[in-house]
Amino acid sequence: MLDIWLSGIEGLLQVRELAFLGLGMAIGLAFGAIPGLGGSTALALLMPLTYGLEPFTALALAGGVMGAVPMGGSITAILLNAPGTAPNAATCLDGYPLAQQGKAGLAIGAAASANSIGGIIGTLSVLAVLPVAKELVLLFGPPEFFLLALLGLVVVATTSHGKMLRALVAGGLGLMISFIGYNDVYGDERFTLGVPYLWDGVHLVPALIGLFAVAEMINLMVKGGAVSHDARNVKITRISSGLVETFRHWGTVLRGSLIGTVVGAIPGVGGVVASFLSYSLTVQASKDPESFGKGNIKGVIAPEAAINAKDGSALIPTLAFGIPGGAEMAVFLGILILHGLQPGPLMLVQNQREIYGLVWALTASCVLASFIGLILVRPLALITLVDSEILAPVVLCVAFVGSYAIDANIGNVVLTAGFGILGYLMLRFDYPRLPVVIALVLGSTAERNFHQSMMMGDGSWAIFAGRPIALILAALIAALLCWPPAQALLRRRDNRGTALAGAGKP
Amino acid sequence: MKRVLGTPLLEYLPAAGLLAVTAAYLVQAYSYAPDSRLVPAGVAWAMIVLVVLDLAARSRTRLGEAVNRWLNSAAMSRGAPDDAKVRPIDRQIAAVLWVAGFTLALALIGILAAVPLYVFASLRLRGRRPAGLCVALGTGTGLLIWLLFAVVLRIDLYPGLLATGL
Repeated sequence: MLDIWLSGIEGLLQVRELAFLGLGMAIGLAFGAIPGLGGSTALALLMPLTYGLEPFTALALAGGVMGAVPMGGSITAILLNAPGTAPNAATCLDGYPLAQQGKAGLAIGAAASANSIGGIIGTLSVLAVLPVAKELVLLFGPPEFFLLALLGLVVVATTSHGKMLRALVAGGLGLMISFIGYNDVYGDERFTLGVPYLWDGVHLVPALIGLFAVAEMINLMVKGGAVSHDARNVKITRISSGLVETFRHWGTVLRGSLIGTVVGAIPGVGGVVASFLSYSLTVQASKDPESFGKGNIKGVIAPEAAINAKDGSALIPTLAFGIPGGAEMAVFLGILILHGLQPGPLMLVQNQREIYGLVWALTASCVLASFIGLILVRPLALITLVDSEILAPVVLCVAFVGSYAIDANIGNVVLTAGFGILGYLMLRFDYPRLPVVIALVLGSTAERNFHQSMMMGDGSWAIFAGRPIALILAALIAALLCWPPAQALLRRRDNRGTALAGAGKP
Repeated sequence: MKRVLGTPLLEYLPAAGLLAVTAAYLVQAYSYAPDSRLVPAGVAWAMIVLVVLDLAARSRTRLGEAVNRWLNSAAMSRGAPDDAKVRPIDRQIAAVLWVAGFTLALALIGILAAVPLYVFASLRLRGRRPAGLCVALGTGTGLLIWLLFAVVLRIDLYPGLLATGL
């Protein structure tokens, strides 16, 4: 096992790989710092550019981006109360009050060191689980893979923060789109409307560029203005004392990292849940809960540790089952597929060097990006002063040309525009976009495994009932679908009880 | 704006549009062989149920409230979205049209002509920036695209339908 880990490190310690890792970190920090962009947009834009690279180099670049985005996001969360990425929103709660008190450096220093430690703990979890994951994946046949794909979709829908119905609609739309093109099992052509470009189905990468990069730019164009209008907001002091504070509150770092690790390994749950869960548990465990929200440094450390730990463990479902842990991992999955790396059992066996290289790249990026972030914090914060009217056209040009460059096909550009408009409409009308992405990724896998299962069972649905893992997965799906209504019922009963108790008082 | 069952008509449009698309998809699915249409048709039928529920959830009726209570609890905690003030509809249409126009320009006149033209036009007409800055940024972005894609990645940039012949 050690030799495989070492081969990953050895592969990463090449000039070319290190250069791309550094480039990825710089891009990740910049995209993380711009609210609304984040890791998925950065990866979506970079995806076509990696086409000419070796898979290992492309993964080093992607690892650099993914490890650095949270650090970039925490800078704007603390300085401007504008989280660069959604999970950094929890950091705003205490980070921004600290910045208002003139302690921005303290908060950024603490966020950087918590980020690094969280990243390392996340990596340790991947190293521990990946060898076992290989054995586990081999227990899965077509019925289990079909149900697992379904579970991935249901998890995403039920964890969409009170928008289960809209998430299910978005997932259904994604599935319908994923069936366009040649049918894997029966070989006939479906829903192509006679367009030859669609024979291969909807190309994942241009669709993702549209859904994330283009949609966010349209949104920025509509909102207008810059993120910050006042350059005086961008001032930083006392960074080193923040580093000391993190080590003083090691229990908070450890708790946050463990929460991030566990939550990250659950497909579709994502960083927002990890960071807010870590924050709220830290508040509950505190002897001084009233100080949170007013500038308690533990309120910065807890979510930041969770965010980076989550990135490592989110690789487990992505690499082992091909089920992305979140939007960023879904786009990352696109990079893997673009380079001919098919996530799943075979990848765990055949591409161990690439996998461990990626794990190390992610870890190095988490740690190094924190230091680089501290050095570059002032110029990075200035990005938020760039007006959207300048930023949007430039990013759109890179997005569209990048989409074309994947296979020099102008059809990609049209597809990207279509998905960009779809993505904006989803943002505007409050439909989550992640279920569409997950459905696009899992749709054909689910259908293929469904047909294979039915063939295995001679057309009988009993095939799903006769296998223990399939039964567990089916029970999980049913439980998850029932959970939000059950929660609503319990809440209603509680409210009624409180109302009755209130009415009974003299 | 005209309201239907207590909700602005515009708020029903996405779900109504989806319902129409799903119905067309379902009709198309039934033109395929039974084995081939099994999963897409199943998904489309499920979508019709979900979209009808979504339409109901958008109305200010008891049914809408019940659907939201059970399946869309986030919609219960906030009022109807009132984006009209924050995001004027003409601004949204303009932003989408700029993207559509850029796509059309890329297809017709090719990448190397469309990129600087789009950046220039967007900054000058939307952003009302000084002409000098617009020319500099347009040329700079075009140069960046050419260097990155044509020189470094050696990709033949699309010349456009007008150059290759319609």
